[in-house]
Amino acid sequence: MFKLMLTIAALLLPGVALAADSVALSSTVFVEKTIADSGGKAKVTLYEPKVVTPGDRLVFILNYQNRGLAAANNFVVTNPLPSAVAYQGTADASAEVSIDGGKIWGILALLKVADGPSKWRSARPEDVTHVRWTMKQAIPAGAQGKLSFRGIVR
Amino acid sequence: MNKTLKRIAMATSVSVVALGATPAFATGTTAGSTINNTASVNYQVGGVSQTAINASNSFTVDRKIDLVVAEVANLTTSVAPGSTAQVTTFTVRNTSNAPLDLGLAVTQQVGGAATHGGTDTFDVTTPATFVDTNGNGTYDAGTDLAATFLDELAADTQRTVFIVANIPLGRINGDIADVTLTAQAFEAGTAATQGALVTQTAGANTAGVDTVFADIAGTTDAVSDGRHSDDDDYTVSAPVLTVAKQSRVISDPVNGTTNPKFIPGALVEYCIVVSNAATGAPANTVNIGDPLPTQTTYETAFGIFQGGTYTGTPGTGTCNLDGTAGGTFSATPPTVSGTLGTLAAGATRTLYFRVRIN
Repeated sequence: MFKLMLTIAALLLPGVALAADSVALSSTVFVEKTIADSGGKAKVTLYEPKVVTPGDRLVFILNYQNRGLAAANNFVVTNPLPSAVAYQGTADASAEVSIDGGKIWGILALLKVADGPSKWRSARPEDVTHVRWTMKQAIPAGAQGKLSFRGIVR
Repeated sequence: MNKTLKRIAMATSVSVVALGATPAFATGTTAGSTINNTASVNYQVGGVSQTAINASNSFTVDRKIDLVVAEVANLTTSVAPGSTAQVTTFTVRNTSNAPLDLGLAVTQQVGGAATHGGTDTFDVTTPATFVDTNGNGTYDAGTDLAATFLDELAADTQRTVFIVANIPLGRINGDIADVTLTAQAFEAGTAATQGALVTQTAGANTAGVDTVFADIAGTTDAVSDGRHSDDDDYTVSAPVLTVAKQSRVISDPVNGTTNPKFIPGALVEYCIVVSNAATGAPANTVNIGDPLPTQTTYETAFGIFQGGTYTGTPGTGTCNLDGTAGGTFSATPPTVSGTLGTLAAGATRTLYFRVRIN
């Protein structure tokens, strides 16, 4: 079963006297399957999430576009992980993750998780609850981009 | 805040979306549940924060059928010929992400290598599957009930299943019977009733929950067939008895006890040696009966001694005269009888008595 939903909330805050600025965001998910081809070489293919069972690898893709007339700055894309998905990393080195529901952010290698009283261990990918990307530069009008991360169905 | 937590401060507006506690998934996300992913964008235009924009998508988790049958203890079951209700033990686990009824079936191997070594040489009789009703992991006759399926087995739970069978008489030491337990996925839903066979969703994805077989190949079943199997074996452990009888002359009327000869009137000692091989099972209640030759007469004055030890190879060694008086002599026909009790593996015991040559 597959459903794509795009929700654009109210575009302007009340009282903000600006042109009709809008940012579009879409979220899609694919199932990543590795199948050996006729030559025996592993070939990775992305499928729509039609048949999904625990253990399947997922690729989440977020597309964003600044459809407004002015640049958007302090642009932050945040994606809380669905509880049934274990985070498996992202190719973007700029991504930060949170392992505590979005309170504290950082790169995964530097985060620690309580492991019994007065003990800490390094956070693992499956501890991640949120992932976010903070754009250092403003998104010019009309510009667009793509972000992605991987997960596994628990 | 703990110092080990590295905080990377970012001079941006931060969006925090509340998220419920993450449930623990053992076998996996329950079939039919929806995975909804929502991302949000926070941004500013001209230094003014704008309303966050959200995007989400969702899909349904399908049903993954997976199950594991595993032999417990990884040891053969040692059995005696003719014994009844002999048990091999397995666990059957539902590693699917949905509850199932799991059908149970026993098959017997015909020849070929048995799971714990050796070659399958016979079949047990009336093998049946029993469920560990009281959950103690041990077969309790009368308490653990016979069942042909595991009823309403929840995802990521397991039950202990026993194969209970009889061993035919006449099997010899080292005979092996290999038995295989196969579990197969059936639909759960109605308690105490075995549901329909689970089938894999054929063709294209459907809007509802699809079914995918994800089980591995077992001893006798294929990969992704909604079944799994493992085998165990019974090994017959019977006593391996050998009997030897030897005689020596004690005295004769001419020479006395100095170099006596087997002449009429001589006193002869018979020693019956019974050995159980080191590989044999203990033999209980070993009884001996020895009809006397008509040319001899039982020496009542000496009597019968049983349970004595023996030095050397039976037949050529020495019968140690350390038995206990006992046994019986029956006059018609003249027969000496006695018992050696239980003969452990590798043990040798004797029964000895004397006769006079007519």
